[in-house]
Amino acid sequence: MLAAPIPADDKERLAALRALLILDTPPEERFDKIVQFAATEFDMPIALLSLIDENRQWFKAIVGLDVCETGRDISFCGHAILQPDIFVIPDARADERFADNPIVTGEPYVIFYAGAPLQLASGFTVGTLCLIDRKPRQLDATELAILTTLRDLLLEEMEAAHA
Amino acid sequence: MPEHLNMLLVEEQALLRKTVSLTARSLGLGTIHEAATMQAAERMLREQTFHGAVISLDCGTGQGCAYNLALLDKVRNGTSASLPTIPIAVMVDNATTDLLKELRDRRISRVILKPFRAKVLLDAFATFNPNATRQY
Repeated sequence: MLAAPIPADDKERLAALRALLILDTPPEERFDKIVQFAATEFDMPIALLSLIDENRQWFKAIVGLDVCETGRDISFCGHAILQPDIFVIPDARADERFADNPIVTGEPYVIFYAGAPLQLASGFTVGTLCLIDRKPRQLDATELAILTTLRDLLLEEMEAAHA
Repeated sequence: MPEHLNMLLVEEQALLRKTVSLTARSLGLGTIHEAATMQAAERMLREQTFHGAVISLDCGTGQGCAYNLALLDKVRNGTSASLPTIPIAVMVDNATTDLLKELRDRRISRVILKPFRAKVLLDAFATFNPNATRQY
C-alpha cells in the first residue's frame, strides 16, 4: 500500500483548512443535500465531503458510512488532494497503490473511488467530494462533468460560509 | 439549428436544476434557463425564444391527480415566443396509457420517469443539439 503522500506545502494547506472553522462542526443541511444528491445521482452506496486534516480525514457530510473520520495514511482522498483533476480508481484491487489497503481488503470495501479535489480560491486543496462503490465502476464524460459541478457547488458553500 | 441553443428546464428541485444548467454549460450543450414553477415558465416562454424544453409536469398529491398540460398546449398552439415545433421532453412521476396518448398528441419527444437524474436530463437536452452531441 502506498500511504497518502504529504504535499510540500501541507503546513500552509492545513492553515487554510483550519481557517475555514469547519473541522469537527455538526452536519449542515447545505452540505448534506449536495452529498446526498451525488450519492443518488450516481447510485453510489457511499458519498462523502472529506477534509484532509494533519493525521486524519474527517467527514463533514456522510452518506453510507457510520464513522466520521479515518486515518489520513489509508485515505484515498489523501491521494486525491494532490491531483489537478478528478482522481478515479476504477478497481482498487487491481491498483498496486491500494490493493492491500485495509479499507479495500476490509470494511467498507472500497473498490471504486472518484474524488473531486476541493481547491479553495487561495489555491490550497483541503479535501474532496468523493464517491465510493463496492464494485468496479467507470464514469463517462457527462458523469465527470456532473461531479465537477457538484464539487463547485460545495466549494461555493464552503467559501461563502467563510466570507 | 443554430450553434448555440437556448433551452428551458422547468423543475421544482433547485439543486437538480442548477446541476443540469451548470453542467450543460461546461459540456457546451447550450444555455439552459431555469424555471422553478409553471407560472415562471409561462412568463419566460412568452418573453424568450427557446430551441427546446424539458418540463416537469406536476400532478399534485390528491386522488385522481391530473397533469397540467396547459404549458405544452401554449407552445404547440403557437402562443409562446418559440416555434410551436420545438422539441419537448417531459418529466412525470408515472405514465399511464391515457397520459402517454395526451403527450403523443402534443408531439412530446421523450418522457422521463422518476427518479429524475441530472444525467438523463442532460442526455435529453443533448438530443436537442446535434452540434453539441457530436462534440462530447
